[in-house]
Amino acid sequence: MSVSPRKLLRVARWEVSRATGSLDRRTAVLGAVALLLTLGVAAGGVLAGGVALDEDIYAVAVSPDSPYHEPVSDSTPLEAVPAGAPNADVYVDDRDPSDREATVSVANTRKGQAALGAFRSAVERHNNRLLLAEENQSAAFPVGVTLSYVERATQRVGANDGTAGAGGDDATGDDGTGDAGGGDAGEAGDGADGSGTGDGGAGSGLGVPDLGGAAGSLFGGQPTGSPAEISPPFPFSSLVLAFAFLVPMNFVIQAYGSTILNERINRRGELLLVAPLSRTDIVAGKTLPYAGIALAATTIIAVAVGGGPLSVAAVFPIALVFLAATFVGAMFARSFKELTFVTVTVSVALTTYAFVPAIFATVTPVALISPLTLVVRDLQGEAVSIAEYLFSTGPFYLVAGTLFAMGVGVYREEDMFTQRAVPLKFLDALAVHLHRPRDVALLAALSIPFVFVAELLGIAVLFALPEGAAIVALLVVVAVVEEVAKGVGVYAGFHQSRFERDLPTALKLGALSGAGFFVAEKATAVVQVVGLGSLPLGQAAFGTSGVGSGLGPAAGLALLALPLALHVVTAAIGAVGATRGRRAWAGTLLVAMAIHFGYDLTVVSTLG
Amino acid sequence: MITVDGLRKVYGDFVAVQGSTFDVEPGEIFGVVGPNGAGKTTTLKTLAGLIEPTAGAVRVAGEPAGDPETRTALGFLPEESPLYEDMTARSYLRFFADLYDVPRETANQRIETALDDLELEHRDRRLGDVSKGMKRKVAIARSLVNDPDVLIYDEPASGLDPLTTNYVLEYVRELADAGKTVLFSAHNLYHVESVCDRVVIMNEGEIVARGTVEEIRAEHGETTYRVFTTVPVDGSEPDGDRHVSTVDSMDAVEGIREAAADAGGEVVDIRTRESTLEEIFLDVAGQPMPGSRRVSPGATDGDRRREPSEPPEPPEAAE
Repeated sequence: MSVSPRKLLRVARWEVSRATGSLDRRTAVLGAVALLLTLGVAAGGVLAGGVALDEDIYAVAVSPDSPYHEPVSDSTPLEAVPAGAPNADVYVDDRDPSDREATVSVANTRKGQAALGAFRSAVERHNNRLLLAEENQSAAFPVGVTLSYVERATQRVGANDGTAGAGGDDATGDDGTGDAGGGDAGEAGDGADGSGTGDGGAGSGLGVPDLGGAAGSLFGGQPTGSPAEISPPFPFSSLVLAFAFLVPMNFVIQAYGSTILNERINRRGELLLVAPLSRTDIVAGKTLPYAGIALAATTIIAVAVGGGPLSVAAVFPIALVFLAATFVGAMFARSFKELTFVTVTVSVALTTYAFVPAIFATVTPVALISPLTLVVRDLQGEAVSIAEYLFSTGPFYLVAGTLFAMGVGVYREEDMFTQRAVPLKFLDALAVHLHRPRDVALLAALSIPFVFVAELLGIAVLFALPEGAAIVALLVVVAVVEEVAKGVGVYAGFHQSRFERDLPTALKLGALSGAGFFVAEKATAVVQVVGLGSLPLGQAAFGTSGVGSGLGPAAGLALLALPLALHVVTAAIGAVGATRGRRAWAGTLLVAMAIHFGYDLTVVSTLG
Repeated sequence: MITVDGLRKVYGDFVAVQGSTFDVEPGEIFGVVGPNGAGKTTTLKTLAGLIEPTAGAVRVAGEPAGDPETRTALGFLPEESPLYEDMTARSYLRFFADLYDVPRETANQRIETALDDLELEHRDRRLGDVSKGMKRKVAIARSLVNDPDVLIYDEPASGLDPLTTNYVLEYVRELADAGKTVLFSAHNLYHVESVCDRVVIMNEGEIVARGTVEEIRAEHGETTYRVFTTVPVDGSEPDGDRHVSTVDSMDAVEGIREAAADAGGEVVDIRTRESTLEEIFLDVAGQPMPGSRRVSPGATDGDRRREPSEPPEPPEAAE
């Protein structure tokens, strides 16, 4: 049945009415408080550069007239107490104004030593601020440094990547220079145009975030400034963004999962199925309010952290996958206990997927597999191309769409209200879409986003291993993931008696599955657009399909035909086993995986 | 109004319904009876469009079951009353009226009429807080908000007390009198006998008997005659100052009359006993109806036959 927007909206309206009616006031208040706390912590973390857990932990006895009083007062961990106060951690004695040096004494304890360190840092920061306020910046900062981060696999950081000349006579670098410290230094020097274009990361595509002000400190330091100010970047931004954007999703999917499972408990949803609505109307109508909440929360948080429409557009597909995975989980779960397991799994898996790659936001194109990297770049004010956006979010949209389609397939009386085992429901969810042999090809093609996501996650996880071991491990992952993806639809078809269990049918289905998978796999060519193929792991994962191999026409054609042959042959092997039941399928699947692995290893070794 | 032609439904290796065929006329109350697992609920759900048949054709008002037009003209009452318990009766009914595209004015009017007819109280109380009988009435009202031509009721009196049960059955009868076609399943065969115009008996996915209750009784049941005479005849037993013979055909009755006359006596009374639907079910299905129970006046649980309150006229006047 087709989708009727009018009916869909009616279901959505009543879902809102029903859901708000079922929420008692106490729960609503607690939920609102929890949400506000989450937002408050996130916003506080962003605006203040972190939560001040170390406020006033060291007491410094210093006279209000002392020049040291101001640095102490401005420091978060230090608390200024009157000179001579007992039990202070640091005592500053500068009672003699004629003496330029003060006497600083500390308790001979570990806390005293730590307090002295904090005191020194506070004074250094204070002095630095005074220097920054000087009109003659060249005098204040005779040496300036500009950091420029480059891609690790293709370049090495050199001394000539960016300069800021003393005196600011020529404060520009070849691949982008900072405009904060360096630029100011140049202008302050002798009037030369020291301003650069973009920030330190602009030249490398994925640069160091430069939010400026308080938000800038989230990213672990400034790209330009005096040597004292330079510190390596820390992926705290990814953590904060993952927390800020993804934690509210957990509230949404809890409510959403409950409403879906509620339809299945005691057959409540049976009457909606009898009403003149399509299954898609019902599911879309019930999902719409929760997608709306997720979108609203995402927008509010994006605004709070200083992001724009790009941040919202980057995070929304994550929200859709949250909802889609929860929907399928709620359709498969047999109790609220199982649903809890589902929502926790969804939350942990997606948060990991979004967060871990984003750690490398400043390092490698691998980071782009997480849409949070787009958020980081949006916060930096960097441009994001359409291809990069599609690369980053496309798998999310496709995964969400496929999961919803799978869930809608089993949103019917025969599956909703039975206590069948989850694997059987999964097979049913696949089999409902199998009406003709060619549907197997479509199913294999639709598995590509999942394969893509699994392999990208494999790259991200194996990224830290030594290159040789990582590539072999990744080839194993690729063989397993792809053979299962091609075979599970065929197995579901045989298991649910959609096809005759004979050899000709198995060979036909295997060929169709392999061909469908091969065609869709070509879509992975998008990895070339963002430069992932330049990485050894990227080549291992996606280069074996013949994409962008850089070989001649004959070799290129062979590399195009060989993967097709590989997929068809291995899928057919698996299909033959699938006709004879689960154990036989598992056995033939192992054979298919071994062949696949051998092929990939040969190609990778040959291509070097 | 309803046509079922060769309906077959298979779940994996289990055949739930195998080749059912029957028709239901407009304005008729049609009963589907059978034990658990007989396939009656599967049949009803297929008609409601909830389940796709493996084979065969199922049509409601000329359209395939499950089509949007068919659903609009259909009211379905499942065996349980799965309501949204956070809603009130009114809001629940309005929700479904909305889904069926019923204009608001009409919906409000229909809802109030249905609630009045069903004598439903507590219309603005949360459905989770009302009794099971009330919930069942709300479920019945919901099946009527779209003013359907066809009602499919699966065990409409399931779990209700006798008073509410009688009320619901009478209401179903009134609906049929008002022109609705009702397909009705029940475990309690007395309900079926008292309400249904025609019946099919299902067992293990097959229809094993069909027709009016009388037709089924004539085909699958048996009629026994207790013939009271003033004199003993061959095979009779004393019954007070009379003698009684039990036979199963009118020819035998005639033989007793002649024998009594030859002995100088006469037949003074003939009483007829017919098989109940439950007995017929036992005969054709070979198992008792789960949950079935006699409710006719004067009957006991151990009595498996129904005694008519008034003996029918004998086929031939007693001499």
